[in-house]
Amino acid sequence: MLACLGLPFMMLCQDANADPVKKKAKTIDELAARYDVSSCKECHEEIYEQWEASAHSKSLFGIGARTAATIGTTITKGLMTWPYSGVQKPEDVKLKHLMLCAKCHLPQLEDATDDVAQEIVKAVFGLWDKEIKKESVKKLRKVNINCLICHQREAITHKWAQGFPQEDAIYGTQEGAHEDQKYPIMKKSPILHESVFCGQCHGLGPNFEFDQPSQCATAYGSYLFAYVAEGGHETCQACHMRKLNKGHVIPAYRDADMAEAALRLEVDAFGYYWRKNKAEGVTPLAVVRVELTNKTGHEIPDG
Amino acid sequence: MILDVIAKAPDGKEVLRSSKIYMPAPGKMGCGKEMGRGPYEKAGLIRDTALPPHRTLVETFEIPFPHEKIEQGKEIYGKPLFKEMDIDVELWYVPFGETEGPAARWNQLWKKLTKRVTID
Repeated sequence: MLACLGLPFMMLCQDANADPVKKKAKTIDELAARYDVSSCKECHEEIYEQWEASAHSKSLFGIGARTAATIGTTITKGLMTWPYSGVQKPEDVKLKHLMLCAKCHLPQLEDATDDVAQEIVKAVFGLWDKEIKKESVKKLRKVNINCLICHQREAITHKWAQGFPQEDAIYGTQEGAHEDQKYPIMKKSPILHESVFCGQCHGLGPNFEFDQPSQCATAYGSYLFAYVAEGGHETCQACHMRKLNKGHVIPAYRDADMAEAALRLEVDAFGYYWRKNKAEGVTPLAVVRVELTNKTGHEIPDG
Repeated sequence: MILDVIAKAPDGKEVLRSSKIYMPAPGKMGCGKEMGRGPYEKAGLIRDTALPPHRTLVETFEIPFPHEKIEQGKEIYGKPLFKEMDIDVELWYVPFGETEGPAARWNQLWKKLTKRVTID
């Protein structure tokens, strides 16, 4: 009897914390709709505009199409050249192949089918085709790292201990109600304010979980093993969001203020007559001493 | 990152340019000593000369003043052609490693300082 009562109770408890099995999106539009954040703007306008100006909002297309171009070379210079990748032509690319990039540039691609992977591949190569360039740009810009990726999908790293993100909850700094039909609950994320949250993507080095490990960023590795090891204790969010009031733009090296704050450059110079040796005699010489101090929490550049 | 130290004559002409590169060198699929380039083949690091966090790096550059050699008795003296040089110190963020060509449009000048060096 107790077992009968206990089972449904356990099932109820597990509902909120279990890994949800989602129906896979079959088109970019479907995936974009699933992660649509247009309603966030209604209440969080300033933050939304900051995000629109961020690199995160262009995570698949990239700034100046850099990311899309790199996905293209990953296919032509990587996948298509490797004998065991199963890819001989762009049409052979499947979801698992794109995840080498999408792990961070579009983690929600896991919630899609191979059809979406193919749609992305076509759009990537479409950037070099005058006839479909505009449409391709538009497609690649539809999906990105947005509010729902950080504040919902990736808001919990230790899912066995802290549960899988609840499907109807938005994760932030407070608990309570959230004025949204799809996400009516607000929950406190245990990691959103921690460096480990950013470390999910901003890299330890090779992504060994793949059959063919990719390596993009190594900033988090440098943060852990060089910055913290030197006594550093600031978080990623402290410098990239709060200190310079950058909010959800979360800028890096392209931002002039961030560049200014990142390094101290000092130069001292003087001249003297140097008596080198008999053959060369006395040489008028300028001596320039340059001091460079990296004030950030990771090496510059990383990679 | 590229640190450029550029010495200029009083007429603005470049006398000498010396550069240092700071960057990690990832291995090509982590095998052997060849550097990899794209994220699809980079794995680990072979060498790392990037600017380390929380540390100060000191670089010293020696730039001879352009001079003519004059013999004075048994000695050779370098007589400077001019007694003043402006030294521009520039730190560039160079994401593709290219200083020329289309990829150079991504480069950003992060810092620039100029020092005047005189010699009597």
